[in-house]
Amino acid sequence: MRLIMKDRTHLTRREFIVKSITAISAVYIIPDIISKAEASKPLDAEVSPKTKWAINVDVTKCVDGCTSCVEACVDENGLYGFDRPETDSQWIRKLRIKDIKTDKVTTLPMMCQHCENPPCVDVCPTGASFRREDGIVMVNQHTCIGCRYCMMACPFKARSFVHENLTEQVTSAPRGKGCVESCNLCVNRIDHGSETTACEEACMKEGHNAITFGDLSEPDSRVSIAIKTKSSRRLRADMRLKQRVTYSGF
Amino acid sequence: MDKIIFTKFIINPKIFWSNFFLLGFFMLIGFACSHYMELEGHHVTGMNNQIVWGLPHIFAVLLIVIASGVLNIASISSVFDKKLYKPLAPLSALLAISFLIAGLAILVLDLGRPNRLIVAMTTYNFKSIFSWNIFLYSGFTVVLAAYIWTMLDREVNKYSKFMGTFAFGWRIILTTGTGSIFGFLVAREAYSTAILAPLFIVMSLLYGTAVYYLILRVISKYHETYISKDILDNLKKLSTMFLFANLYFLALYHMTNMYIAKHLDFEIFILSSGGVYTLAFWLGQVIIGIVIPIILLNSKKLSSNMVLTSSSIMILLGSFIAMYVIIIGGQAYPLTIFPDHMIIESAFYDNVVHSYVPSIYELGLGIGGVALALIIILVGIANFKFLPTMISSPKSIDAVDNTSNN
Amino acid sequence: MPQLKKILAVVIMVFIPISSFSHDNEKHSLKGMSKADKLDQCVEPTEKMQKHHFEYLYHQRENTVEKGIRTKNHSLANCIDCHVSHDEEGNAIPINDEGQFCQTCHVKTAVNIDCFSCHASIPRDSLSRTKSQVHSRNTHIESTAKNLVEYYNETNYER
Repeated sequence: MRLIMKDRTHLTRREFIVKSITAISAVYIIPDIISKAEASKPLDAEVSPKTKWAINVDVTKCVDGCTSCVEACVDENGLYGFDRPETDSQWIRKLRIKDIKTDKVTTLPMMCQHCENPPCVDVCPTGASFRREDGIVMVNQHTCIGCRYCMMACPFKARSFVHENLTEQVTSAPRGKGCVESCNLCVNRIDHGSETTACEEACMKEGHNAITFGDLSEPDSRVSIAIKTKSSRRLRADMRLKQRVTYSGF
Repeated sequence: MDKIIFTKFIINPKIFWSNFFLLGFFMLIGFACSHYMELEGHHVTGMNNQIVWGLPHIFAVLLIVIASGVLNIASISSVFDKKLYKPLAPLSALLAISFLIAGLAILVLDLGRPNRLIVAMTTYNFKSIFSWNIFLYSGFTVVLAAYIWTMLDREVNKYSKFMGTFAFGWRIILTTGTGSIFGFLVAREAYSTAILAPLFIVMSLLYGTAVYYLILRVISKYHETYISKDILDNLKKLSTMFLFANLYFLALYHMTNMYIAKHLDFEIFILSSGGVYTLAFWLGQVIIGIVIPIILLNSKKLSSNMVLTSSSIMILLGSFIAMYVIIIGGQAYPLTIFPDHMIIESAFYDNVVHSYVPSIYELGLGIGGVALALIIILVGIANFKFLPTMISSPKSIDAVDNTSNN
Repeated sequence: MPQLKKILAVVIMVFIPISSFSHDNEKHSLKGMSKADKLDQCVEPTEKMQKHHFEYLYHQRENTVEKGIRTKNHSLANCIDCHVSHDEEGNAIPINDEGQFCQTCHVKTAVNIDCFSCHASIPRDSLSRTKSQVHSRNTHIESTAKNLVEYYNETNYER
């Protein structure tokens, strides 16, 4: 059948429409898509280790008293608490620290540091705490049994346990009672092609630009440039966890 | 071959059932508490994002440590061929099983998602010591069951020494695993040292012996057993030895931490400036748990029974406080995220020593777990022949005729 | 052997009613209307969906969480998007409410749903809950969702 169809010289109406749409899209639409397609992965592709998501925090730009990154994180992931600060979840928090020698006060955001050798992944009995190929350390809440051993193991206190029944979850960030959770670099956003995390976006909107997110494997990504232009360091470097979150300007 | 007659626990049914229902009541309360915690979430407990492991874990770890420790008596009899303890060996293995089951039950019922136990049993991360412990614990119950069988069934009695040795090896590894749950936590200054594994082993030896003696005392109240003077003297010697070993490893653990510069602040915290934790350490773990028992055990004025009973109670009290110091004290000290900085402000309690007030539900769960252990023991000895008719010197055991039994 | 047969008989007696679906050709009579009501068929043939929808979801959840695959066909968010009913005022009714799409069958077959203790049961975007202006990302996702529905409409029509 097909052969016969192909032999015909005239196009059917359907073929004509399909071909003309293809032609139009080849001229007008595809060039637009391609430039974007390079930046983000298609929805049906697996994440690969070629991508190395990372965050750099320039503490000199971080403003004392500003908590817009925290608020953005709460909104993005629906982290609405119960006004019980000891048990409410915190994926990102602001700290004020003072240098012991110079008394210099610095303020900075603290979140999951996305280690390349994460202690939380090593200790998790079910493998629910895991590191995605692109470097995002997160919790598979389908297999998390809520033992909290990862919270014991984390050197940065980055993880929270959901202590109560939740009802107001957002679609892009499922979370629930009895599981452990932490910053996942806005994984849903990133997978859908966003180039910023909620905290970076908020920081940029405020005009502070202290947080830079991006792909380390791309030499001209924002984070790569930020790390190149200013020396940065990892927290608790003595533990050799190789975090993907780095801090510069100490 | 020794001829020891084992019998069931012969007891007035009234006493049996009253005890059974009393323990069952506490057990049900424990289940109810855990169910409530699961329904409402852990905010009803004293645990939070700062103190993530609380009272249930104190109970659970203590019970698991005791489980491995009560096997002492059986190990001494079969591994080190001490005939003196042979009549006491099967009971020791039963106690080990029941304490282990109880400890695990508490641990499981405190999970955020206890309904996902099947996930824990089917998906493993072999890098995790926790995972290994799931194998070690479940394997231990199987090994113990087989060991009890070889001890009680005369046909397979010849394998009992082998099984005893196997169980001995297994429990050393098991307690190493339990200690390593903490020892492998590199992030926290309280833990992060391999010495915790041998420390947990000597703790298990000490606590297990104390628990075994206390339970034997209780049983002998209702059941005619005569605990010979040899056994009492031997138990006293053993306990003293374990106490000194405990003191030694405890000192070693703190000395090591003092030499590791980055752990020094934590040591200062626990040993002198930690408030309730310092008090718990010195008064509870050291004085009540170690010093007073040593003095008691070596006093010549009191009767052996009195000495052993009082010192065992002290040791148990101390063991509970020791677990408190290790588990809660270790978490209470804030993490050092910035070694050369001081955290002056945080919305997440990064700069304060955390406090922990357990809720009634956690206590209920813990006590329910202990009740579970005791109920297993009660039902076990009432239905199977675990108790020797007479606990005396080996010579008299040999003389007993074995025609009537088994 | 006779014992084994007995056990087998009991097992069969217990499981046959469970495995045979209780309302094979019944239409869902739900309050309100959902996008799905207007379509002839779901992302897979209806019978397949009735019996195997959880397998698709399990498969998808592994792919999504572990590998970051975000295709829409078998994603729970998309199921909800399409199957959720709306009341007279146009507000979405939680899909696990009594009488709603998920709950009706699951009550009948006495199978507990564990999805909605964590997952949102109505289409709910993060930023729609905040007062900040609607971000372009949302309109982007909404338009893809619309396109997908249209796409399914078309493909069903062609078949």
